[in-house]
Amino acid sequence: MRGLVIMHLYPRRMNIYGDTGNVTALRRRLEWRGIAASVVPVDLGDQFDLEEADIVVAGGGEDTAQMAVAADLAQRAEEVRGAVEDGVVFLTVCGTYQLFGRRFVTASGEEIPGIGVFAAETIGGGTRMIGNVVVDSHWGDLVGFENHSGRTLLDEGQASIGIVRRGYGNNDSTTEEGAVVNNCFGTYLHGSLLPKNPAFADELIRRALTRRHGGDVELAPLDDTLERRAAEAAASRP
Amino acid sequence: MIRLLLAIVAGRIVRAASRMLGRGGSALPGLVAEAIDPRTIEKLVASLSRGVVVVTGTNGKTTTTRMLAAALQAGGSTVITNRTGSNLARGIASALIEGAGWRPRVETDYAVFEVDEAAVRTLAPRLLPRMMVVTNLARDQLDRFGELDTTTSHIAAAMEHLGSVVVNADDPRVAALASGEAAAFGAVDEIRALMPADRDLYGEGTLPARHLPLAAELRAVRAAADGQEVVMAVDGEEHRFHLKVPGVYNGYNACAAILAAARLGVPVATATAALEAMDPPFGRGQVVEFRGRLVVLLLVKNPAGFNQVIRLLIDAAQPTSVLFAINDNHADGRDVSWLWDARLEDLAHSGHLFGAGGMRAADMALRLKYAGIEAWAETDFREALDRAVTSAEPGSTVYVVPTYTALLTLLDLLHPGVGRRKAWS
Repeated sequence: MRGLVIMHLYPRRMNIYGDTGNVTALRRRLEWRGIAASVVPVDLGDQFDLEEADIVVAGGGEDTAQMAVAADLAQRAEEVRGAVEDGVVFLTVCGTYQLFGRRFVTASGEEIPGIGVFAAETIGGGTRMIGNVVVDSHWGDLVGFENHSGRTLLDEGQASIGIVRRGYGNNDSTTEEGAVVNNCFGTYLHGSLLPKNPAFADELIRRALTRRHGGDVELAPLDDTLERRAAEAAASRP
Repeated sequence: MIRLLLAIVAGRIVRAASRMLGRGGSALPGLVAEAIDPRTIEKLVASLSRGVVVVTGTNGKTTTTRMLAAALQAGGSTVITNRTGSNLARGIASALIEGAGWRPRVETDYAVFEVDEAAVRTLAPRLLPRMMVVTNLARDQLDRFGELDTTTSHIAAAMEHLGSVVVNADDPRVAALASGEAAAFGAVDEIRALMPADRDLYGEGTLPARHLPLAAELRAVRAAADGQEVVMAVDGEEHRFHLKVPGVYNGYNACAAILAAARLGVPVATATAALEAMDPPFGRGQVVEFRGRLVVLLLVKNPAGFNQVIRLLIDAAQPTSVLFAINDNHADGRDVSWLWDARLEDLAHSGHLFGAGGMRAADMALRLKYAGIEAWAETDFREALDRAVTSAEPGSTVYVVPTYTALLTLLDLLHPGVGRRKAWS
């Protein structure tokens, strides 16, 4: 079986909240099942071919980094939207999740255009939403940590990842967290997200393998006792 | 004057009461004094004959402050300092009140204060430091400090209120803040490569160009059983000495302190002698004898600091037992994501035995699992400490790597009945 290619978008700019942990989790969970995985870092201005990618992971960054990444991403907007349509698996966290929406309006009123994968927009400013989050999702409970002042509002009909049971999620006025289009996921949860949420990590892997090889993919079970303990600990903390 | 006296008296009463209750707490007296006279700090620093030196940055503040205070004292000056590491306005006010005795003035030459990197912006105009030492700038507990760009701007603003600066030339963010007048310290490339700056954490590890000429250069560090041997050149002259504090990063801290002291008139040989005699501060390489083993406590707070401790563990003479104790109280940072940014993978072939403790023991063990390292997880501190210590041979060294509040709990267990106050003094 051909191995999977994990593309890590903007690792030097958008890496502020342990985003590397998501890449590590995918790579290890593939390796433990005997499936080869390679990680391709792609930074500002780098050439990359999304057709090569099976899973694309991108994280959050500081404001200045997010501005730089927004400009870079805008030039690749069509390619990224095409890849999403084609079923490439994406996990975008925090800052890149915001940029995958239509636009991001900063606290000072500045408008950063997004690439419009998600039918959503984000308004910056106000109190930060910080703390551990528990989300009721199709893949069971997702546990993570949020830290954002941007409020993301989904258009009617835009699917979310799930409903927040604890914490804020997308904003402080609705109970939705994240967004999903095809195999592209956006979320505010870091922590890192995937190591503590193995069922969700495996869902991303399963979707990538299905897209690459077709048919139903059966993943060999792994011992996730420690993963569950870590998720329980996070869920019990403020 | 009356108001200041009242503030000092109230602060000292609170301090005495707090001590009687067996608390080591060092911020409360200052908090009370500042409530009575909000200009307690300004008034008391004005009476120092040689003024204030501020040490700030992400990592290394406490140790560098301790080293600089020791060097200045060895040079014949009298010094007060916030030695407990309480580095906000109230901790500084507390240290000044302690220095004042019952009089409305502080009759020492210097005050050497470590100052929180976010508080330095508002404290610098109040302290009017004659010198500021900036150790390094890296991401740190983002749920508390916010963005690194913001922290950097705080320090830049603080620099408008001082006489001179001593900066780490090897940290690009710090170096960029320095003007031509700055005295810079750094290390030879071989050592510099072991200390990646924040923006290199995810990069190829290539050394960025260094723009400032070095007044003090760290030339060699060699780990020893009881600390390390250091070779350093100051203004072109080479010095060799021994430090009880381990770790390459403490070589940098020594460089900062010796250069700062030299610029304040202390001969380098006097400063190095003072540093040789200095015991590691609270939790920063502090060694405690426990159940027949030597427990070395190495506080971690952020990925950059964690990477430095990982380096130290790789350089350790013998494979032994290592306990990481991770809490997520407010003072530790609620968010433990930073564990995933530290290079735990580098420990995979170290030969050490690993355990994870603290409230987030499972997260730490999970981090190690994904780094390819087997580790047990135990949230009960006593159990975790016992297990880590008994995993090592009697007489050997055990490394305990806690976050801040985990360190406090561990010290209570390591010093039964004596607690944190003894550990601080």
